[in-house]
Amino acid sequence: MTEQNQRAFQKQKGVFVSDKRRVLGRWVKGKSRLVKKIGLDFKTPKEAIEGTYIDKKCPFTGNVSIRGRILRGVVISTKMERTIIIRRDYLHYLKKYNRFEKRHRNLPAHCSPCFKHVKPGDIVTIGQTRPLSKTVHFNVIKWEPQQGVDAVKQFRQF
Amino acid sequence: MGISRAKDKKRKLTGGKRKKWRSKRQARIGRPPANTKLGPKLIRPVRTHGGNTKYRALRLDSGNWSWGSEAISRKTRILDVVYNASNNELVRTKTLVKGAIVVIDATPFKQWYKQFYGENIGDKKIKKGEKETEKKEKETEEKKEELTPKQQRQKWKNKTERKKKMKKYIQKKVKRREGHVISKQLVDQFKKGKLFASISSRPGQCGRCDGYILEGAELDFYVHKLKTRKKK
Repeated sequence: MTEQNQRAFQKQKGVFVSDKRRVLGRWVKGKSRLVKKIGLDFKTPKEAIEGTYIDKKCPFTGNVSIRGRILRGVVISTKMERTIIIRRDYLHYLKKYNRFEKRHRNLPAHCSPCFKHVKPGDIVTIGQTRPLSKTVHFNVIKWEPQQGVDAVKQFRQF
Repeated sequence: MGISRAKDKKRKLTGGKRKKWRSKRQARIGRPPANTKLGPKLIRPVRTHGGNTKYRALRLDSGNWSWGSEAISRKTRILDVVYNASNNELVRTKTLVKGAIVVIDATPFKQWYKQFYGENIGDKKIKKGEKETEKKEKETEEKKEELTPKQQRQKWKNKTERKKKMKKYIQKKVKRREGHVISKQLVDQFKKGKLFASISSRPGQCGRCDGYILEGAELDFYVHKLKTRKKK
């Protein structure tokens, strides 16, 4: 089991691992796993239901709820463990010149292991959660893979 | 005012320093950690925000431990702190914190098991229920006293009633035993009189050291960790 790679035993809160019924083989519905719907018509990925990863910050299998803002952005960096940086572009209007200027903001978001193969350039929908760390208050809830290397550098307003 | 929990001293996401614009506030204080050790009970109440109390356990020696698969809890002594995923120092100093793996006394659970299932943990199972009832009957017959005829009649009446109940009770226990399995690892632990358990309360906050007995995959995991540590 590759999910037990930490110094503490990884398990889902709310799932009793040593349930007698499981031990005796009476419940044979496969592994018990807590999966939930996050609401707002977002589909729970198959990997979240069938996978074996343990992530307490995952919106589908962990102890966080998605509430507040739902944003979209382009993935810039996936170098961190289970978190990604997203870039959100927008236009800022200058009244004096009647014109717009390009601005952007980077947002760190938690990326659950159910979203495998997320790479820079992909478009991602993130939902607001309670603070998961000092800077992370968002969680990836939908992933749209993109092709093309230059997708990161395009100005895309969602 | 010492420890503050306000975020104004932290750097920004960009790495930039934040300028101090307000002094420390009482409402945002932190307090020094309890570092609860193993020892005779010593708990200090702390007055907190809103007039509420926190119970800072400075020393604890027992707690309420649950046996999950049997769905019971018993108060037992904590014997030793054995593993801590965050910090080996805490193991060395025998600090009780949430998530630490400890060794607890197995006697109350052994006693409960005997009372509930009618046999000791690790004993070979008695195949015929009838033998059990015979044993019990002998035990009850041993007590004989000098009584008046009326008292004797009453006693005999009570005795038969008791025998009936006894029989029913024993049959109940036998039924409970049917198909009941305890994992070998737990049985070994019971024989030694010590169980591995995980602390699930926060002793420095609530003043209690409660938790659950490790079972199944979790137990395997920590036993393995302890073995590899010993090898080093």
